Amino acid sequence: MSIPLRWLRRNLITIAGLITLAYLILPNIVVMVFSFNKPNGRFNYAWQRGSLDAWKDPCGVADMCDSLSLSLQIAAWATVGATVLGTMIAFALVRFRFRARGAINSLIFLPMAMPEVVMAASLLTLFLNMGAQLGFWTILIAHIMFCLSFVVTAVKARVMSMDPRLEEAARDLYAGPVQTFVRVTLPIAAPGIAAGALLSFALSFDDFIITNFNAGSTVTFPMFVWGSAQRGTPVQINVIGTAMFIIAVLVVLAAQLLSNSRQKNSAKP
Amino acid sequence: MTDTSGGDVRLTGISKTYGSFTAVHPLELTVPQGSFFALLGASGCGKTTTLRMIAGLEDPTTGTVFLGDKDVTDLPPYKRPVNTVFQSYALFPHLNVTENIAFGLRRRGIKSVKKQVDDMLELVQLGDFAHRKPHQLSGGQQQRVAVARALINHPQVLLLDEPLGALDLKLRRQMQLELKRIQTEVGITFIHVTHDQEEAMTMADTVAVMNGGRVEQLGAPADLYENPNTTFVANFLGTSNLIEAEVLEAGSDITVTASGAKLHLPAGRCSTSTPTRSGGKLLVGVRPEKISLAHADDAAKIPEGRNRITGRIADSSFIGVSTQYVIDSPVCPELEVYAQNIERDARLVPGAEVVLHWNPEHTFGLDAAQSMLAGTVGSAGTEEAA
Amino acid sequence: MTTLAETPPAAELPLRKPLLRRKLVPYWLLLPGIIWLLIFFALPMVYQASTSVQTGSLEKGFQVTWHFQTYWDAFKEYYPQFIRSLLYAGTATVLCLILGYPLAYLIAFKAGRWRNVVLILVIAPFFTSFLIRTLAWKTILADGGPVVHVLNTLHVLDVTSWLGWTEGSRVLATPMAVVCGLTYNFLPFMILPLYTSLERIDGRLHEAAGDLYATPATTFRKVTFPLSMPGVVSGTLLTFIPASGDYVNAELLGSTDQKMVGNVIQSQFLRVLDYPTAAALSFILMAIVLVMVTVYIRRAGTEDLV
Repeated sequence: MSIPLRWLRRNLITIAGLITLAYLILPNIVVMVFSFNKPNGRFNYAWQRGSLDAWKDPCGVADMCDSLSLSLQIAAWATVGATVLGTMIAFALVRFRFRARGAINSLIFLPMAMPEVVMAASLLTLFLNMGAQLGFWTILIAHIMFCLSFVVTAVKARVMSMDPRLEEAARDLYAGPVQTFVRVTLPIAAPGIAAGALLSFALSFDDFIITNFNAGSTVTFPMFVWGSAQRGTPVQINVIGTAMFIIAVLVVLAAQLLSNSRQKNSAKP
Repeated sequence: MTDTSGGDVRLTGISKTYGSFTAVHPLELTVPQGSFFALLGASGCGKTTTLRMIAGLEDPTTGTVFLGDKDVTDLPPYKRPVNTVFQSYALFPHLNVTENIAFGLRRRGIKSVKKQVDDMLELVQLGDFAHRKPHQLSGGQQQRVAVARALINHPQVLLLDEPLGALDLKLRRQMQLELKRIQTEVGITFIHVTHDQEEAMTMADTVAVMNGGRVEQLGAPADLYENPNTTFVANFLGTSNLIEAEVLEAGSDITVTASGAKLHLPAGRCSTSTPTRSGGKLLVGVRPEKISLAHADDAAKIPEGRNRITGRIADSSFIGVSTQYVIDSPVCPELEVYAQNIERDARLVPGAEVVLHWNPEHTFGLDAAQSMLAGTVGSAGTEEAA
Repeated sequence: MTTLAETPPAAELPLRKPLLRRKLVPYWLLLPGIIWLLIFFALPMVYQASTSVQTGSLEKGFQVTWHFQTYWDAFKEYYPQFIRSLLYAGTATVLCLILGYPLAYLIAFKAGRWRNVVLILVIAPFFTSFLIRTLAWKTILADGGPVVHVLNTLHVLDVTSWLGWTEGSRVLATPMAVVCGLTYNFLPFMILPLYTSLERIDGRLHEAAGDLYATPATTFRKVTFPLSMPGVVSGTLLTFIPASGDYVNAELLGSTDQKMVGNVIQSQFLRVLDYPTAAALSFILMAIVLVMVTVYIRRAGTEDLV
């Protein structure tokens, strides 16, 4: 076998993996490049010429920044709600024996096994029947509902892998139930809770289908993008998308560096 | 016997059942203040459950736990003056060594803990590791943190749940001595749960051997070893040769016959349930290291008045300080003999005809109405439960 | 001294009762979340079931008339969209598995110190709204753009046109564009569970298999892949379920000929306002997906997904 062929064979998986990675990143690169575009006409699909206009005036499009701030608010509240409720359920499932465990497990699994459009449509039926005013509150209710299961799954995994003797040790060392929870259980379960919260935030912020059904005339950021796909896409959408991508990467990198340096510090005698 | 002295641990009628499974049968136990007490048994014998009931981590199904004169049965663990060193330590992974050790003091609202923590770190010789996280410590160091974290609270009783199980043999030996040293230094009652008979005997003043949710026998290590009450204790603590026999002559010195061989043993060394009247069936027990081995050619040189059995060497293994022989005898197959390697007789090789002899005083008697194999390796020491 | 005495059997001793308060703790923990799910997930299903058997009009109001005919009518009219949805979602799921496995494997075993960087690159696109990223595909696949140009030059489009995946020299507004978008959108949901289950595999197993005369290919077939099955199962479910109900990709990247059942439900509910038909369609979709998922989980032998 010739050397290049052997090299190719040995690195086949790496090459295939990198191609997939490129496929995943390509749209983000396009979004980033086109945030510097100055399109002719209403749609930002074809490259015309470079410009910093959109970056200089990110809120220059009517209603876009309002929808962004609404989405951030909903995501924040949905995260708080789903994380609190989901964490409680996860603890109950792992730490206690009770009746109807199977039914409760299914009730938590089903929202994840249901196409979004089904949940969206049925929830709208409920709101219509109750005569509820569609808007901020109906969106928030829906988001907490579908984020809940994901939080339960994330927290449950973490709590299950936690040694129950740690809590016993705390109780043995004079910590009452509340102190045990605050000083030991919560800090150890924290990574799971954080993962659940982060997932909730991302899911809620980016949700379109369920929101589209239950928002009435309220416009969240994904709905603004959806609407603009029909009316004309402003370059500012790309600016927001790029900025969020960069902020996310920076936050993760910073967290990584922080935990690295912390580990080094604590290793010192 | 004064059972109202200040800090005794008293269990009265304590038991634990899970559904139809009885983990611990109703149990009466008193551990005197300041003693080093070991609960010894195979896994599943109820020793850890007993310990957890003392700690308050398990609610007893029946019975009462007293610390001194105080009934603590209904107190939650965080209100009991008792601390535990957990199996695999249960150190808080998110806290460093100092914070782990200070945990109990802080929970009781003590603000200035530095001095006590430093003293404790010195006691367990971990001064240089105060700011490490548990995962940055070796097994032995983690174990010492666990001990320090419990001891700093000056509990009335320290409970140790298999504290040395995760350590390798050499470290285990070292920690056994160290725990013993600490116990002598602080004078607190230690209750130690282990499945390692050597560990129990090395460290404890009193050992309770548990089997199937009951205490089989309780006493000082040497007493348990020399005078086991049951075949389980005889086999679980060290090794015993048990020979089925029938009583020929009763009296203070009992004569028995086993497949034609006549053996003698003192009545005082028979367990209470052993039938010592003429015709009773019993098991004659003798420890492998008490038996001497002579080549059949030298049988005449054996002094009078010793128990003797003939046999043939089936196997021998040399292990440095001693040689262990397995001997097939018409009286009993597979007798074990440990001979010190002082002067080795070159004729004692597999196949050789030999005479086993020992002082009748070193013989003990057990009731034959129990399994000879109880407590041996491979037999479940935990059979019967419910 | 220590004492040991025989005591009466347990039956004669007074039993100690566990505290009732402690027994209620799990119910208090479960209550708020479960009520939330019951009211906003389970109850809507009931309402939807009832809506699907109603007749009437927006002006006069709807009445429950047990009109099951709606189901049959809806299915008869929209079965091409159902088939298309399952076909597109199935194809996208298979593509996700084929594309995602090497990357998950790369992260788990080969990335070394680059592992976290690659992981971040897989997750980070999430933070740019998926609608924006899907719109970017409009640019990438644009008529006369570089991608279409290359595919045209290589005569790939001739083949795909012949297969009916594309039309002429266009990629946009064809099945291929929609499947490409679906694959792209749900790829991370395949990669992450795959990575999680691959990462748990002890690297020494590969060495052991090699030591026992397995070639790398056999090692993969007999050791690695079977051990990654939990990841494969949850990855395919996390891809297939949302893809089958999706209508965003079909709307943005397809034409009227690529409409999926999600598009129909959406337009019946939000534009036509024919609630019974929309409810019936959504119930049929739910039933199909649940049946497929149940059969799949049984076949794959993994019950423990939650």
